This record gives sequence, C-alpha cells and structure tokens, in this order.
Amino acid sequence: MDATLREALAARFPAVDLDQDVLLVPAADHYPLAALLKEQGYTLYVTVAASHHPGPEGDAFEVATVLRRPVRGAPSVAWRVVLGADPHLQSLYPLFPGADLQEREQLDLVGVRFDGHPNPVRLMLSEDWVGHPLRKDYAPNMPHAPWR
Amino acid sequence: MDPIFQPFRDDPHYPLDRYEAAADLMLLNMGPQHPSTHGVFRLKLVLDGEIIVKAVPYMGYLHRGVEKMVEGLTFAQMTPIFNKHDYVSPMTNEQAYAVAVETALGIEVPRRARYIRTILAEIQRIASHLLWLSTFTLDMGGVIGGGAAMMMYNFREREDIFDLFEAVTGSRFHYNTHCIGGQRHDLPEGWVQRVRAFLDRQERAFDEYLRLIRNDIFDLRTKGVGVMSADLALGLGITGPNLRASGVDFDMRRDAPFHAYDEVEVRVAVAQGCDAYARYEVRMAEMRESVRILRLLLDQLPEGPICGSKPVKMANAVRVPDGRGYTAIEGPRGEIGTWLIGGGEDKGAKPFRLKIRPPSLHAMAAMSYLLPGHTVSDVVVVLGSLDPIMGEVDR
Repeated sequence: MDATLREALAARFPAVDLDQDVLLVPAADHYPLAALLKEQGYTLYVTVAASHHPGPEGDAFEVATVLRRPVRGAPSVAWRVVLGADPHLQSLYPLFPGADLQEREQLDLVGVRFDGHPNPVRLMLSEDWVGHPLRKDYAPNMPHAPWR
Repeated sequence: MDPIFQPFRDDPHYPLDRYEAAADLMLLNMGPQHPSTHGVFRLKLVLDGEIIVKAVPYMGYLHRGVEKMVEGLTFAQMTPIFNKHDYVSPMTNEQAYAVAVETALGIEVPRRARYIRTILAEIQRIASHLLWLSTFTLDMGGVIGGGAAMMMYNFREREDIFDLFEAVTGSRFHYNTHCIGGQRHDLPEGWVQRVRAFLDRQERAFDEYLRLIRNDIFDLRTKGVGVMSADLALGLGITGPNLRASGVDFDMRRDAPFHAYDEVEVRVAVAQGCDAYARYEVRMAEMRESVRILRLLLDQLPEGPICGSKPVKMANAVRVPDGRGYTAIEGPRGEIGTWLIGGGEDKGAKPFRLKIRPPSLHAMAAMSYLLPGHTVSDVVVVLGSLDPIMGEVDR
C-alpha cells in the first residue's frame, strides 16, 4: 500500500487497522471504502467472495472484495466485512458494473443479499433451488436437495 | 449506431418499455446448445427486426459445484479438479492453484521449476489462442472462404503442442503436473530441441494464418463491432487480452511477475481499437510474443531440482493454517485468481473456502453492454472475440 493511499484511508477510516493484509472493515464503510479506492485509481474490479462461518454464537458471514490498480506493480487492496446471521451488504454495482454477476453468484451460492442490486436473482442454480450450497450446513445428501 | 440504443448500452437493466420499437419486439433464445456458444450458454435476445435491443446472458448449465467439492478434498487431491475449469488452458489453471497454496504457506519454488512452469504456461497460451482463432473464424462462417479451413491449420499446430505436453506429463490434456512446491515431472531428454523445432514451425504458420484470414470480409465483420471502452472494461473486471485491446497497458506477467517472468522481458501487446478487431490483433501479437519469450526461456533454462522436497504424495501432508488471502496469475484469458481461506476440516488439510476468480465470467458480463444496436449476426463475432470458456464461467 503506497503512502498517499495509506494517508487517505487513515484520514477517512481511522478505525481500520491498515497493517493487515486483508483489511477488516465495518459494514457501513464497505461502500465508502470502495468509492474512495476507485477515486485513488483502483478501478479494476477483481472479485468478491462470501463465506459462511458457523460458530457457537450463531452464524457469521464474511464478504471479501478485491480491487486493483492496473499499473506497474499491480497493487491491490483486499478487505472483508463480517456480517451476522441475516447477511446483507451494500451492493457495489453503482461503482463497478462487474459486481452485477459476481454478487449474484455469491447471493446464489452463499446467500448474502446485496442491497441496491438491480437484479438480485440466482446466477448458477435454477430459480427454484432450495438453500445455498456453500453454507457449511448444506450437504449434497441433504434430504431436500432438489436433484432433478 | 442509432442513438436510441445508447441507454441499453449504458445500462443493461434499462426498462424495455421506454423503447419505441419500429416493429413488434421479438424474443430469441440463443442457446443453451448453439454451436457458437463455446460450451453451454444461453443468451436471451430482444430483437427489433434484426437489431438487438437488449441481451441477457444466462449461465450455470455447466455448474459442477467445484467450490463446494474442494471443501472436502485435501490440497494434494485438488490439482486434477482445477485443470478442468478452463479446459482450453488446463496448465495455467493448475498453476494458479499451486501458486495460491504456495503463497499461503510461504513455500519457495526452485528456479528450474519456475522456469518449467513459465515454459509450459507460454506454450499453453499459444495452444489456447490457437483454439480461439479457429473457433472465432469458424463462428464467422465462410469468412476465410471455406468453413473449417482455419481450424484445420490451427489444430495441426495444436496437436504438436499436445505431443510436447504428453512427452512431459504423460497426458495430452489433463496434465496434473503441478504439485505444491514444484513440478511432478522433469523435462525429458531432447524435449528442449523438440520445442525449438515446434517454435520454428509455429512462426512460419503465423504467416500462413494471415494469408488465410486477411481479407475484406474479415475486416468488415470485426472492425467497429463490440466496442468496449477502457472504463467499462475495468469496471467489469475484464482482464487479459480483452482489457489490453481496450488500450489498457496492463499485464500481470510484466507488472506483477510470477513464476520466472521477472527474468525475461515481456513485451505487452496493446491495441487501441477497443473492438473485435483489436482483440484479434492483441491475441495474434501475444502468440508471436510467446514464441519469443519461449526461445529466451529455453536459452537460459537452469539445472537443478524441480521440487522443494519430495513431491507431496501423502493426502493430508499439506495443511494451510487459518488465514485468508488473494493470489492471481495471468492466464491466456486474463487474471485467474484464488481467494483462499485456510483452516478447514481435518486441522487445515482441507480449505475452509476456496473461490476461483474466472476471467471468462467477467468477460461474459460485457455481452449485455456490447450487443445492443448490433445485428444478430454480430453476436457470434462479439462472443467469439471475448473468448469465454463456459467450463470456467460456471465451474
């Protein structure tokens, strides 16, 4: 992370520990962080990955996003947001059109909802599929798995 | 292009009822089983006469649930799964996975193994672009004056490449030659000379391809078709040749070197046209560049071990501790990334979550932006020029 970006991030998001490889960001800062990074030249939308972390206190979800600057050195910034049992997060579609299909895939497979997404429907599985396969409590031999 | 289609090019979710149709709109389903869709893929087209107003892609027909499946596999068992994502460039897909686990564990790969990986990746790039060239021209029908002629020429060289890979790995297509920390197979005796002979043949073949393909019909069908601005390409996450054809000078091989790319000079091919023709130009230039890089690599191929220690054979010898990270390499289609969360079942012998970032899925997202305003016959040109592989899109 270069000095200008670090300064800008520290000024705007003082609560975030910038020494981590993958920044841990509160859900409210997810969209503003992406907007700031886009202003700073991180214009290449790389990926979004959600994951399910069941624990003794109930379900938790993580959504990780990666952005990249298309210049020498290919610097990238990755951050993650931890969500509770009813996971929903601001969609990045207004900033990055690539978020359209990517967020739909995570909605489909992990079941994280993206607020403000223009077309929040399943991408890979059929529309009447039950459950989200990448959750840890979903197994392929579940009795209701709709094999057709 | 008629400006009434511009709102649909800017926003694929623009409501259809605001469009003033000249005639009744028609709905046309292209696919899922259409010869030009490079796999199984459905495109819903809303047509006004022969002009496309709106295009909606539907995918998932090849979804095999790989990301769920690997959560139950150990790291040593996964390589054969990964080379079936992008079945046109299995080698680079294996490498993306190997690099991800090596980065997570902090394993250093021996220099000779890094060279072998780079050589295999560049030969794979030529093979992949050859398949693209043959299907692209095949999609355009008789653009080169006779159906599948180009494909026959391309597959002649592609067969040579399979022979080379078979000599190293024992397999013509699904190689399983990368393991965590190095290579499983060393290069056999005389292989380097065989590659040099192949490169000479390949270099002559490029001129042959050009004699087939350079004609007015090809130019008319590709120039100005499927124009994608640099801003749109970046926002969609498009990488690789498609991004460079939009004028963005960015290549991970040069800008964030992996394998042995830091020891050779990579001259990145960039085109400013942003259209299907520019994407053709970039891929053709990349194949020639691969030939040049391969000669350099073969000249300076070092001796030494090909794997850090013995190749990993124990099923759960590799354990990735709890932690997360993103790694990426440049494949023939763009950035193949891996988001890996360690610390899964069996004390980290299995991944907790592994997400593959497929460059083709990002390229497919461009379809709904590029198609409005074009005719139905341009669909196959735009789709072919983006070079998606559906196995990788759906996983």
